[in-house]
Amino acid sequence: MYTLGIDIGSTSSKAVILRDGTELIVQKVVSLGTGTVGPSQVLSAVFEESGLSPDQIGYTVSTGYGRMNCAQADEQVSELSCHAKGIHFLLPDAQTVIDIGGQDAKALKISESGQLIAFQMNDKCAAGTGRFLDVMARVLNVDISELGELSQRSKKPVSISNTCTVFAESEVISQLSSNVPIEDIAAGIHNSVAKRVAGMALRLGRPTAPAMSGGVARNAGVVRAMERELGCPVLVHPLCQSAGALGAAILAWEKLKKEKVN
Amino acid sequence: MADLKNNLSVLAEAYGNPRARLDYYLGQGKKVIGCFPPYTPEELVHASGMIPMGLWGGQTELMRAKSYLPAFACPIMQSDMEFGLSGAYRGLSAVIIPALCDTLRCMTQNWRFGVPGIPMIPIVYPQNRRSPASVDYLISEYESVLTMLSTITGQMMNEQALCRSIEIYNEHNAVMREFAQTANEHLDIVTPRVRHAVMKSAFFYEKSEHSAIVREIIAELKKLPAYAHPGKKVVLAGIMCEPDELLGIFEENDFAVVGDDLAQESRQYRTDTPAKGGGSLRRLALQWNCRTGCSLIHEDGKPRGEMLASLCRLSGASGVISCMMKFCDPEEYDQPYYEGDLRSAGFPCLSIEIDQQNTSYEQARTRIETFREML
Repeated sequence: MYTLGIDIGSTSSKAVILRDGTELIVQKVVSLGTGTVGPSQVLSAVFEESGLSPDQIGYTVSTGYGRMNCAQADEQVSELSCHAKGIHFLLPDAQTVIDIGGQDAKALKISESGQLIAFQMNDKCAAGTGRFLDVMARVLNVDISELGELSQRSKKPVSISNTCTVFAESEVISQLSSNVPIEDIAAGIHNSVAKRVAGMALRLGRPTAPAMSGGVARNAGVVRAMERELGCPVLVHPLCQSAGALGAAILAWEKLKKEKVN
Repeated sequence: MADLKNNLSVLAEAYGNPRARLDYYLGQGKKVIGCFPPYTPEELVHASGMIPMGLWGGQTELMRAKSYLPAFACPIMQSDMEFGLSGAYRGLSAVIIPALCDTLRCMTQNWRFGVPGIPMIPIVYPQNRRSPASVDYLISEYESVLTMLSTITGQMMNEQALCRSIEIYNEHNAVMREFAQTANEHLDIVTPRVRHAVMKSAFFYEKSEHSAIVREIIAELKKLPAYAHPGKKVVLAGIMCEPDELLGIFEENDFAVVGDDLAQESRQYRTDTPAKGGGSLRRLALQWNCRTGCSLIHEDGKPRGEMLASLCRLSGASGVISCMMKFCDPEEYDQPYYEGDLRSAGFPCLSIEIDQQNTSYEQARTRIETFREML
């Protein structure tokens, strides 16, 4: 039986189809989020690649910021529960999950069995989120995907404020006008994100086998900065960006199984 | 049932339109005193023959208040200041401000300067409550308040009137405690929004009038069969939990509120004025010394966590939602202590930010939804 998980974020849409809750059939990411054609594009993409049709899907769970606007979904589940589920599937040892999304950042504490037991979310502020990195990449005039590699060449990272995106943007502009190397600014930006999110994660206690999920986990500069802040290695799976959609597909499978039992 | 619905809608209307309540009392020729939160000695106002009316802010766009308060000040004080400056409180004979936190302390001066048309009566409560001098000191504070109130009424309140007012307030405390308990058997009717409306409406009624309405609600509820709530039950902690949009998200997620420690709701009803101990002013002062488990009152040890855990056990709640008033230092200081105690007792705790000026609830929705999934 096939189940579908769709994660409609603020900046991207992700979809995953699973067979019997364990076998990954297809996963796709479209860089357009809620309120755009992103969700319909990502659904078309997973059906096209898998050769499946919507009526072959037994149950669909939507998650993410746009979860309420998904007509195809049988149920909506919060992205925190889905990331916990998805990361436990991908990295069973992880007991702390840090998800930096386009609009918010979350730290999750999960049990050995993958049960979400506590969480923290950022305040209503773009600092420490993917949006912060987007804004900074634009100021530096580089593509967001280049930011991680750029920071690896840094010799002397600068200090960037981690309390406000608007203030930080002004700081970056003044660093640029002082001819500070762009690599050092990029590293400073990553440190700024890591400091803010690590502070939030530490409110849940000392992290146990932390893992990162969400699109920002693909940025090696942020991951390295996070490792420095937490003082331990951070696990990252190649499917980190789709962890929420994967978790949604697993939850959809669990729902189906429960319905069969009843 | 018709009476029940009618009484609930009467209180919901008062809660939704406090201005109409103020106009009602003014229309009766009564004088009304605005009472800033929390623990304003309403009994003194009541005994002086005036109507005490709670000023707990509200949803409004902040414009003028920004000239007096920094952006990081308590949202209740910001909106109270805005309402004062914009004339929304026109008709009040005075306001009483208890200087219980840094922002309230500043408010006494802001109000005096910004809203000169409505006189301000300050009161400072003693925080060292172990000293016997604290009672004498508080009596002298109450006497100062009474002197200022007498300039409005033209006469001094008498001991008999204060005794009667204390009785009315103690009765009201008991009625509200009984309502909170009875409501837990009827969570289909007393939803989070309804519960809040009944609790908050008390600020806009003369207390014996409010007691009478709530007594009728309790009697009607008791006639109905108990309802087994299918969703999760929670206890609320904090200063307040509003607006309705936020409480509506609790309902969407099948959460029922079965107890609270909110300063705006049950916290004020926990402690009666003792029946004995001397004259009425002394008894009122002793009531202050008996209050416990409040972030705004200094206390050795931190009993709030155990109080909340015990409330969860008694009410069958699965966890606590900490309604963290934005920029509220006293509450933020308490939170890690009671959260730790709750965790040790096996009760999960969710923290949500309360901001009266908020218009977007998506983050709160995600948190509340996740908490439900977690429970």
